[in-house]
Amino acid sequence: MSTDGTIHARGIRKSFGHKTVLQNIDLDVASGEVCCIIGPSGSGKSTLLRCINGLETVDLGVLQVNGETFGYHETETAYHALSKKKLAEQRTRVGMVFQQFNLFPNMTAQENVMSGPVLVKGVDKKKAAARADELLASVGLDGHGFKYPAQLSGGQQQRVAIARSLAMDPEIMLFDEPTSALDPEKVGEVLAVMKDLAKKGMTMVVVTHEMGFAREVSDSLLFMDEGFVVERGDAREVLGNPKEARTRSFLEKVL
Amino acid sequence: MVTTISKGSETTMGGIDAALKPRLRLRTPTEYAGWVLSILVGLGILASVLTNPNFKWGIVGKYFFAESILRGLVLTVFLTVASMALGTLLGLALAVMRASHVKPVSIAAGLYLTLFRGTPVLVQLIFWFNISALYPDLRIGIPFTDIGTAVDTNAIMGPITAALVGLTLNQAAYMAEIIRGGFSAVGKGQIEAADSLGMSAGMRMRKVIIPQAMPSIIPATGNQFIGMFKETSLVSVLGVAELLQSAQLIYARTYETIPLLIVASLWYLVMTLLLSYPQAQLEKRYSRATSTLPRKAKRVAQPEGAAR
Repeated sequence: MSTDGTIHARGIRKSFGHKTVLQNIDLDVASGEVCCIIGPSGSGKSTLLRCINGLETVDLGVLQVNGETFGYHETETAYHALSKKKLAEQRTRVGMVFQQFNLFPNMTAQENVMSGPVLVKGVDKKKAAARADELLASVGLDGHGFKYPAQLSGGQQQRVAIARSLAMDPEIMLFDEPTSALDPEKVGEVLAVMKDLAKKGMTMVVVTHEMGFAREVSDSLLFMDEGFVVERGDAREVLGNPKEARTRSFLEKVL
Repeated sequence: MVTTISKGSETTMGGIDAALKPRLRLRTPTEYAGWVLSILVGLGILASVLTNPNFKWGIVGKYFFAESILRGLVLTVFLTVASMALGTLLGLALAVMRASHVKPVSIAAGLYLTLFRGTPVLVQLIFWFNISALYPDLRIGIPFTDIGTAVDTNAIMGPITAALVGLTLNQAAYMAEIIRGGFSAVGKGQIEAADSLGMSAGMRMRKVIIPQAMPSIIPATGNQFIGMFKETSLVSVLGVAELLQSAQLIYARTYETIPLLIVASLWYLVMTLLLSYPQAQLEKRYSRATSTLPRKAKRVAQPEGAAR
């Protein structure tokens, strides 16, 4: 396994029953690139993100993550679903941060961060604990390791969730509206951790409504609506000078 | 009378400071009527119980600690504990099967639940007792070969075994529903978080789902336990000498039916009351209000400013 951190998608389609949520999506994210996806709710941006982590499967199209066909093994005639073990292996290389944090409430912050390395990778507990403390310190939660999620604020919980994903040493981090469930005054602390991560060269795909973050940190930007990519390009260019009418009207509403 | 609000502790006519006068609850005539009526009915029943010689309280006392009654009680306790333990294990397996993505496995578990919850336990018990009519021999061996041995079903399926099998299989169906309910109370986000970390299904079940489902499963299991204790009286129809049957065996001989039924009832009542205290503690411990924090978390002092 080479360190890669790239995502290449061609012609991704996905429907739930009769409703098509992703229509012919192309996406290219280079190693170390930060890509923000914006758009109205129901535009398919979260679904696209969830496909890259295998929480949803794509119906049609080619999806390559970290240089490998994701979730499938390609032969001349078909894509064969990977064994659960292989799929899990691919997924450990892609971290996911959820809107609702989804920390395990039965574990302390430290145990949450340790859970991946210890349970999945079989890392020695002491080593994993030391690493977890380091990671918690790196997201500004030094000394909070003994607390349970219910004892932490939303912003703190989301930072623990980021540390938990980072503990698996992923090459790519996916963020699904990471600040949407937070109180306004807690948004900044989570964005700061994400900025820090971007600076360190992590490949990131971020579904967000934080236009300020997109403008400041993002390299590329995708505007999605009704399952289509309406506009894409340099983040500052798209936000400052949108070419499509739909992008313009969306930005007028949110800015 | 109008109380004028005055400064300081100046007292009004009654001599009590207006601000300090007690606030009295409204008592309606219905409330008084309720008191009077319940006390009268209660006294009436008590008087009747104490004065009616047919209760034969002396005989109740004589048999309360009789050896055969106590032996019956022990068997009742054994049946309760054994069928709950086995039923819970089987129920857990059924709950996992029911949640399986493999359709035939899930359907098989569903059919089991429908069958065992949809027919009376009493019928099931009699059915297991008479299973030899359906399968006279039990064969253990490799299918479609001559390898293996056959055992006479009647030799295995005595009354106690039939009781244990019947109660266990029935209880498993109910426990499966309780456990499945606990599983489904664990949010979808938890499963996605475990999946995105690359956890296997077994790991996810053991480390994420079961620990979080416990707070809703444990109190319900306690209730089932108390229910099972009383349900064991049904196996008396198989001639198993548990508590009720032990009482019946005595009154079949002495015709002291009512006093011996009272003996059995009192024992059921005593045991139920004894069990309901730990049950109440369990419910309190796992109640909604405290379940956001795991129990061991309470030892950790809550730091100031840790919101929510």
